[in-house]
Amino acid sequence: MNVPTEHLLVLSAFLFGLGILGFLLRRNVIIVLASIELMLNSANLVLLAGSRHWAGVEGTGFLEGPILVLFVILVAAAEAAIGLALIIALFRLKQSVILGSSQSYEVAADSTSPSVPPPSPTRP
Amino acid sequence: MAEVLFYLLAAGAVVFGVGVVAARMPIFSVLNLLGTFFCVAGVYLLTGFQFLAVTQLLVYAGAIMVLFLFVIMLLNLHDESLGGTLMSLTSLPPRTLALASATAGVFVLTLIFASGVGPPPGSAVLAAARIDEGLDQLVPLAEVLFTRYALPFEAASLLLLATMVGVIMLAKRDRPRAKGDTSASWPWTPAVDDGAEPVQQAETAPALEPGRSRKTHEGTAARPPADKPGERAGSVQ
Amino acid sequence: MTESASYLWWIVFVPLLGSVLCGALHLRSLTQRRAGATREVGAFAPWVACGAMALAFALSVLAFLRLAGSDDVLALESSSWAWLDAGSFELQLSMVVDRLSSVMALVVTGVGLLIHVYSAGYMRGDPGYAKYFAFLNLFVFAMLLLVLSSNLMGLFIGWEGVGLCSYLLIGFWYEKGWPAEAGQKAFVVNRIGDACFLLGSFILLAVFGTLDLSDVGAAVPTVLADQSAWITAGALLLFGGACGKSAQFPLFTWLPDAMAGPTPVSALIHAATMVTAGVYLIVRLNPLFAASATALAVIGVIGALTALIGASSALLQNDIKKVLAYSTVSQLGYMFLALSSGAWIAAIFHLTTHAFFKALLFLGSGSVIHGMHEEQDMRKMGGLRKHMPTTFLTFLVGAAALSGLPPFSGYWSKDEILAHTFGHGGLWSILWIVGVVSAAMTAFYTWRMVALTFFGKERFDVAHVHPHESPASMTIPLIVLAVLAAGGGLLGLPHVFHVPHVLANWLEPVVAPGAQLLFDEHAAHLSGPVEWSLLAFGALVALYFAHRGFHTYKAGAAADAAYAERSPAMASFLAGAWKIDEAYTARIVEPMGRLARFTYDQVDQRGIDGVVNGTGRVTLGLAARVRLWADGDVKHYALWVGAGAAALTVLLLVA
Repeated sequence: MNVPTEHLLVLSAFLFGLGILGFLLRRNVIIVLASIELMLNSANLVLLAGSRHWAGVEGTGFLEGPILVLFVILVAAAEAAIGLALIIALFRLKQSVILGSSQSYEVAADSTSPSVPPPSPTRP
Repeated sequence: MAEVLFYLLAAGAVVFGVGVVAARMPIFSVLNLLGTFFCVAGVYLLTGFQFLAVTQLLVYAGAIMVLFLFVIMLLNLHDESLGGTLMSLTSLPPRTLALASATAGVFVLTLIFASGVGPPPGSAVLAAARIDEGLDQLVPLAEVLFTRYALPFEAASLLLLATMVGVIMLAKRDRPRAKGDTSASWPWTPAVDDGAEPVQQAETAPALEPGRSRKTHEGTAARPPADKPGERAGSVQ
Repeated sequence: MTESASYLWWIVFVPLLGSVLCGALHLRSLTQRRAGATREVGAFAPWVACGAMALAFALSVLAFLRLAGSDDVLALESSSWAWLDAGSFELQLSMVVDRLSSVMALVVTGVGLLIHVYSAGYMRGDPGYAKYFAFLNLFVFAMLLLVLSSNLMGLFIGWEGVGLCSYLLIGFWYEKGWPAEAGQKAFVVNRIGDACFLLGSFILLAVFGTLDLSDVGAAVPTVLADQSAWITAGALLLFGGACGKSAQFPLFTWLPDAMAGPTPVSALIHAATMVTAGVYLIVRLNPLFAASATALAVIGVIGALTALIGASSALLQNDIKKVLAYSTVSQLGYMFLALSSGAWIAAIFHLTTHAFFKALLFLGSGSVIHGMHEEQDMRKMGGLRKHMPTTFLTFLVGAAALSGLPPFSGYWSKDEILAHTFGHGGLWSILWIVGVVSAAMTAFYTWRMVALTFFGKERFDVAHVHPHESPASMTIPLIVLAVLAAGGGLLGLPHVFHVPHVLANWLEPVVAPGAQLLFDEHAAHLSGPVEWSLLAFGALVALYFAHRGFHTYKAGAAADAAYAERSPAMASFLAGAWKIDEAYTARIVEPMGRLARFTYDQVDQRGIDGVVNGTGRVTLGLAARVRLWADGDVKHYALWVGAGAAALTVLLLVA
């Protein structure tokens, strides 16, 4: 298949960008985890694109790419497992999986509605 | 022909990706992620990495997604107030949005315009004669994996072991404790151990009171005895 | 030739020892006072101080006798102490007593001893009794260092030391407020002179390579040919230093204010010794000055001008001490006038007689003030001759000497100065006229002072003020000084009398180099008839104006008011010492004050403090903003982690 490597990279770039946006902007921790998985996938794509790009340069292929992808998948699985376990524990503690509604430091005794994160004095 | 398929799959992956990020409810997000996995697996196949395509489907779509779904269903996040938040770009403070966009943009642009130098000399090499049959053929892969990369392989197995142990410890449910039982519980220590009240309170109290949840990390002695989510785990089940 | 004498260091250090002991006594007194004791050890201070002075005087006499007894021993030298050894430049401190410094030492220690004795009576009852004697002895130490040092730097140490002690003693009663300001003014004005002194000594060092006084003097003729400009510069700068110390125009304004100190201090420091340091310096370096006609002309003009300013300002003063202060300024002007015409010996002669009669007058005025319970305004005195006979008689002697009435000492010394000035010709003819006018004024204001104080109606409140004679500790020094003021003229009778001029013969070796340089150019030798006429003229002028002064004011101070009505501008001009002080205040002090205020407010408070405080404020402000980032919101942290990773990526790509 003669798709230029650049296009593969573009695809992975989009996926990675989406993953970043989701990771940074969503408040639901499950969706954040899903975004992380998305980013990992895009990384795998890059690795494979690179491996494919230099295959046949000297008439050979390179196996580091697939091996590394294998490990990435493995680690992603482990990380997803742990993350989900954390979510369960978190949910037990706080009855919510909204990031930002549970502050580590108590600012004021009064509270606002659960779905709206408490106001921060400044936003970066 | 293959190219057309590639572009279709690519577009699909992106569309599903948007779905992951912009979904209203986590269940939708996860299902979109599943779609992304399938599209990406298809791309792997088209570019000649059959083994990895199958591995992707087995592990990602088959195991990780199942985990996600389990958890979603376990947490019973059907109630929108509990789990769903509509992602609306206007609800975000502009500075956050700008910064996030800039961050994403940097990576995107880097990837798009990146150029590499190639694998270092001495990398594992697939013999030229067999490239047409695929770029990740099993036998050569296994050869390299179990010889040169034996250490990472074993370490990975250790990692999985640790993960298993960790998951079990994290997700373990605390057993209800008798009154006066001051033995340490994990991962948190309740303030006052009063067996009678919590069950009562758990039924009547609203599901979420951020004031209480916020206080959780404070000195536990200050909390009213009703505030013991551990005791209320039963309601979550 | 020079003989070595180890006891010379003792002359200098005995007063220092006395000062330290008195200081210890003072501190002990303070503790005793705090503990509530009735008797204090401070009462012993005058014994310690006068004992030290007596010892120093005895040693000075010893040195003097050694010099007097031998014709070829011209100087006694002590062991030297190496102070500075920097490569090619070496500074050795040692004491040298030659004929000039022996005279100075005798004056300093002798008159100083008398004043110490007087102070024991005058300052009794003052809480700072022992402290006073500590300072006084310290002053004598510094003054002796000044006159006995063999090189310019040792002299300068003494120079600075007397300035310091002057400050300490002027401001002795600093609690009253104005003495502290007066002390500060004295110190600051002196400092200007000191700066000139230092610059002059630098030039001397550069030109001659040494600061040893006799070496410099000896080297002048050889250097003169190609370095005459530098010699003039050095001479002028050293004279600038002398102006500060000896209260010449324009640095004389501190002396009238210095009357805020105790009267014995005025007698010792501001009449007899410290203010004569400038004269001593020039006589000591007479070859240097003789080599520069420019410097001599400048000295002459300033000396004459100062004499005029001082004398005219004294005419309308009401404070008895102020009259004497301006009189001192004026008489110092005479000494410099003498120096300018090459009459070194006349200057030293007048220095000596002036020490006698001015100290006498100051101590006498102190006795009056003491008897009048600290009243210093002459308009509130009058008729005191009945109440204080000893003071009155001694004061008369002093007044006669000051006004230049024969046969008192002041007549002879003043006449010698005016004769030399007259004979010098050229510019000095004009200066002679100025000198004569000043002498007339001197007689006038002196006898005005006598009349207002001791004659006429008693203008004080007879019911409440009871003037009394002073105790013996005060009157005995007065008597001694009166004898000296009366007979001091014997030291320098004019040669037309065909008797040896004692001082001239004595000092001849010292001034010979300068005389040689000078009289190569100006041969001035007055003939007999001219000399006699000048003698007679001087006497007549003095007698006439003394008479006028006395009679105008015999009845009271009404003539002052009348004059003020006739010419108010001139009256205020003279009474305000030609308004020079006001000019300084307006032109120099005020702008400096404004500059200081500006520097303080803008540069220091706003600028430097602003930077320092601003740094703190900025840091706090930044911290307050940055602190808000740690808000506990994980999403923010994640955002920043991501942004940081992106930044690193860019950095890696770019760099």
